[in-house]
Amino acid sequence: MSHQPTSIDFRANVQQVPSTMPPAVQKATTKFLGNRAALVDALGNDFWQQLRQAGHEVRLHAITHLDYYLEQAERQVIQAGGHVHWARDAEEAQRVVIDIARTHRAKLAVKSKSMATEEIGLNHAMEAAGIRVLETDLGEYIVQLKGMGPAHIVVPAFHLSKEEIADLFREKLGIEAPAEAEKLTQIARMKLREEFLAADLGISGGNFLVAETGTIVTVTNEGNGRMCCTVPPVHVAVVGIDKVVPDWESLTVLLKLLARSATGQKLSCYTQFISGPPRTDAETGPKEFHLILLDNGRTRILQSPETRETLLCIRCGACLNICPVYNHVGGYAYGYPISGPTGVMFASQILGSKAAGALPFASTLCGACNDICPVKIPITEILLHLRRRVVEGDDLEGAAAPYSLRVGAQIGAVALGTPWLYRVGSRMLKRLQVPFVQEGWMANLPGPLSRWTMARPFPAFAADFRRWWRRRSDRT
Amino acid sequence: MRDEILGKVRESLGRRSGTVPPSIPPTARVPPRKAGDAETEVAQLLTEIGKLSGVTRRLANRDELRVAVAELINVENVKKATLWTTPDLVGWDVAGMLRSLGVEIIPPQADKRLVAACELGVTGVDAALPETGTLLLRSSPERPRIVSLVPRVHLAILTPAALRPDLHEAFADTKEAGYSVLVTGPSRTADIELTLTLGVHGPKSLYAWVLDES
Repeated sequence: MSHQPTSIDFRANVQQVPSTMPPAVQKATTKFLGNRAALVDALGNDFWQQLRQAGHEVRLHAITHLDYYLEQAERQVIQAGGHVHWARDAEEAQRVVIDIARTHRAKLAVKSKSMATEEIGLNHAMEAAGIRVLETDLGEYIVQLKGMGPAHIVVPAFHLSKEEIADLFREKLGIEAPAEAEKLTQIARMKLREEFLAADLGISGGNFLVAETGTIVTVTNEGNGRMCCTVPPVHVAVVGIDKVVPDWESLTVLLKLLARSATGQKLSCYTQFISGPPRTDAETGPKEFHLILLDNGRTRILQSPETRETLLCIRCGACLNICPVYNHVGGYAYGYPISGPTGVMFASQILGSKAAGALPFASTLCGACNDICPVKIPITEILLHLRRRVVEGDDLEGAAAPYSLRVGAQIGAVALGTPWLYRVGSRMLKRLQVPFVQEGWMANLPGPLSRWTMARPFPAFAADFRRWWRRRSDRT
Repeated sequence: MRDEILGKVRESLGRRSGTVPPSIPPTARVPPRKAGDAETEVAQLLTEIGKLSGVTRRLANRDELRVAVAELINVENVKKATLWTTPDLVGWDVAGMLRSLGVEIIPPQADKRLVAACELGVTGVDAALPETGTLLLRSSPERPRIVSLVPRVHLAILTPAALRPDLHEAFADTKEAGYSVLVTGPSRTADIELTLTLGVHGPKSLYAWVLDES
């Protein structure tokens, strides 16, 4: 997943999901949801709802005043001695990073986990430019060795067994690796330690960008984020413009929400606050700090008031954990580095309806994500609007659904909305179905209807409800 | 690039440039946690750090500190150490204690590979948060970042004066300070089969000692 997909066929992807995936997903999500629930209980539901509302308001405020806060953040970073770059799209961001790397003759870059850098395919671009890029988050390191992308935004390699990981280390690192989590972690620690010390460039994302002081905040558990931002001589942070937060007071709300929602920890191990490069050499740290502010479709999302709240997302992953679809297919089916409900919102809008039009339909609209989102994004409302956009088009995009679906939807609307047509149609169905019925079921339907019977048989139409109702009413 | 992006943002929001600073709605704020009495706070801090597999101690004075340091050196097999040089640590002469126990002291500004060879990093604590068992460490010439990051063992020595009720108070002190990190337990991951393991890239062991004598 190191380049932008041109078309995501969710249905086809779902057919490829191995049978080991659902149990692995559910083991991870159950654990996170359980831990989260315990902490929400401990805080008290009233306070938790107060926090969610405050989180929603502060993020909405930031997004609706994004111009002001972006300029403030830029001023502050420059004042602190950092460099600020603005990238309109993935290619521009890649170029900026590669230029910085070339200026410093960097051969090796170490990277902490960053969805923004995955979104822009940074690793792929840097490798093509002859710069080795190493993922340092353990899960990302593992999937990178395997040549794959992340299957979950918080635990990228949850779907791999320790035996598979041991085999991977044996094959790719030439190390005799026992299949035990502790030992495998120690091997990764040792290997990556060498790389951290040798790296010319450290690349990170940013969970938040505080406009008040031009501070990027990174939230990690392993310490690789701190290593990438402290040990190499140059630090580059790629941060989406949607990550802006007005001030430190806002962080108090968001930090109380984030780790609890993501993994059920009160706070992650290391929450780092970086405002420009170190002011002195003696305190150790990088010599140079670069912040790349990434648009890549976020201004387009901002344009549409119905979907604007997509940008409130703080990337906790709670919506992935609770989503019944995600729990059955895992992250790869979505064809995008961010998966689950929030991945659907982002991918549909960043890639557009033509490429990602299948994704808004990859939802049961159960709404569990709305309830669990720490910043109260109305996710299913946004998905409904995105569906409308795919089928009918809107101000931003023309209809992208295949002609047959658009026509089918219109026919459906007429047939279901016109009473006499509905009555006639339902009587006809009883006759039309006869060739397909065997023992009360239709196992194989023709044409587009076969997409239903691919997975399960359809019951035969047995009676006319209205007639039955009339007779019943007549009898009483 | 910059002007285009900002232009698109303004256009999307229906705004012209040169805006007045926006005011944040009061419902976007949440009040800080209320602190209990000093003793309860310290006890809660140590309990929370313990839950994260940190090792905690309460020490009454410098003599107890010396004894504790000697035990730590033994248990963790420390040959080399690197330290902060804040007034507290210098005043307690932790470096001196270590040297007298045969530990070699490496300055944090030495070549990073030399610092990486240290088993122990000793720091103070700029603010401690009981609710989450969190230690806030700033960065300055006396507080090099690498000390709490690279060695296998991180020893943080604090006094009760470092305690703060919540993030709000801790941030008020440090937001202009340039760099800080909230440390909540030793480094960990559950990336392999969701099994928790400690000591991934950051320290494997966190020792947090509260020294009552100031």
